[in-house]
Amino acid sequence: MTQGLLARFPRSFMLCTISFLLGTMGAGCTTTTVDEYREDSKRLDLKNGEAIVVLGRRHAAQYETEPDFIECIGDKIGSAARVDVVAEPEFMDATYPWFEPRTAPLGLKRMGKMLREPMIAERIRGRHIRYMIWVDGSTETTDREGSVSCAIGPGGGGCFGFATWEKEAVYEAVIWDLSTLLEQGRVKVKAKGSSYMVAVGLPVPIIAQVQGQACEGIGNQLGTFFAG
Amino acid sequence: MNAVVPRLRQLSLLRLLLSAALLAGGCATHVEVNGSFPEPLSQRLPVTALVVFDEAFRSHRFENADDGREVSVAVGQTQVDLFTAVLNGMFEHVTFADTLPDSAEVDLMIMPVVDEVQISMPYQTKLKVYEVWVRYNLRVFEGSGEPLADWIMSAYGKTPTRFLKSSGDALNQAALVAMRDAGAHFIIGFSRVPEIRFWLDGRATVAAGLPEMEP
Repeated sequence: MTQGLLARFPRSFMLCTISFLLGTMGAGCTTTTVDEYREDSKRLDLKNGEAIVVLGRRHAAQYETEPDFIECIGDKIGSAARVDVVAEPEFMDATYPWFEPRTAPLGLKRMGKMLREPMIAERIRGRHIRYMIWVDGSTETTDREGSVSCAIGPGGGGCFGFATWEKEAVYEAVIWDLSTLLEQGRVKVKAKGSSYMVAVGLPVPIIAQVQGQACEGIGNQLGTFFAG
Repeated sequence: MNAVVPRLRQLSLLRLLLSAALLAGGCATHVEVNGSFPEPLSQRLPVTALVVFDEAFRSHRFENADDGREVSVAVGQTQVDLFTAVLNGMFEHVTFADTLPDSAEVDLMIMPVVDEVQISMPYQTKLKVYEVWVRYNLRVFEGSGEPLADWIMSAYGKTPTRFLKSSGDALNQAALVAMRDAGAHFIIGFSRVPEIRFWLDGRATVAAGLPEMEP
């Protein structure tokens, strides 16, 4: 009986550990809050062939809205609302030098002024861009504890230790209607999650998908503006 | 058996040397900035220009070895590519030269000079961004060789740190953003430089057959 229990223990322990790891690697470690503000409860008008562009704000000194986060939001909106989304690098190259980090318009007043410049207006209308979504924010590591040490030598290498860190993602998106030059809404997302690294020989990371969850939250919510 | 022991020792030595080489290599970052620039969206000025990229500009390399970490960033070729794309988009006709002539059959001669390059890495600033600053001295002469304008223009670029992305890639990206920033400020700011503005206004007046205004 005792022998049977001992024989079963390692397998059940392993299964338990794997379930715990898989469970933790899911959404268990991240909490996401999404707030939105709409000018109007109606779906935003988007005629056939019209597109939107999602751009990141990069003028702040201490952080930078990540380009891959902007791409992720574009993909989410595109699939949630089935609208054409112009890729950020394509738009920035087409309108260079008017939407660079230090030359992009920060408000609708200057955007309107830029659209009165025929060559800029023509380039934007040529791509049928009706809405411009500006995203500002970043994902930061807010807390870190513990440590993992790794060593390598002629006989091989390995790691030992335990570390945990917390990440917070805060982003805000603003929707500009380029045909009316009005702000149509705002979406704010805050995601927080803890990640772990356990190392006994090999390091096993259990990563909270904080930025991924923030993208999911803000992207799907922005999609509802266009999909109704 | 006797032949196996020296072979194992050789292998161990090889591993040790490899580890040492990896550790030594990990402390040095060498970047040849590489990228392309779009054609700018700007009105071409009815001006013929000779652009001078001298050897110092073409082969400019920033080098630093603070804190025992060696960093070198070569921006020469990329800034030549940038200014070539930008100036071709700004002026009706552009030619290039390696040295500044005394005079030339053009309206303007433009010579960019790198005044200073600075970089900062996340381990220095504790920020999660790689940053690159470039300060240019832009010298503009009339075709006769007479100095027309001379001003300082700074450019800045940063890129966030990435999990498992090398500092070389991040610095390359930050330098490209700085180059784009330089191009943007050159295009937008060129005709706002007072001496250039006055010179362009004078040309427009002459072209329209109107008397030139006093400054």
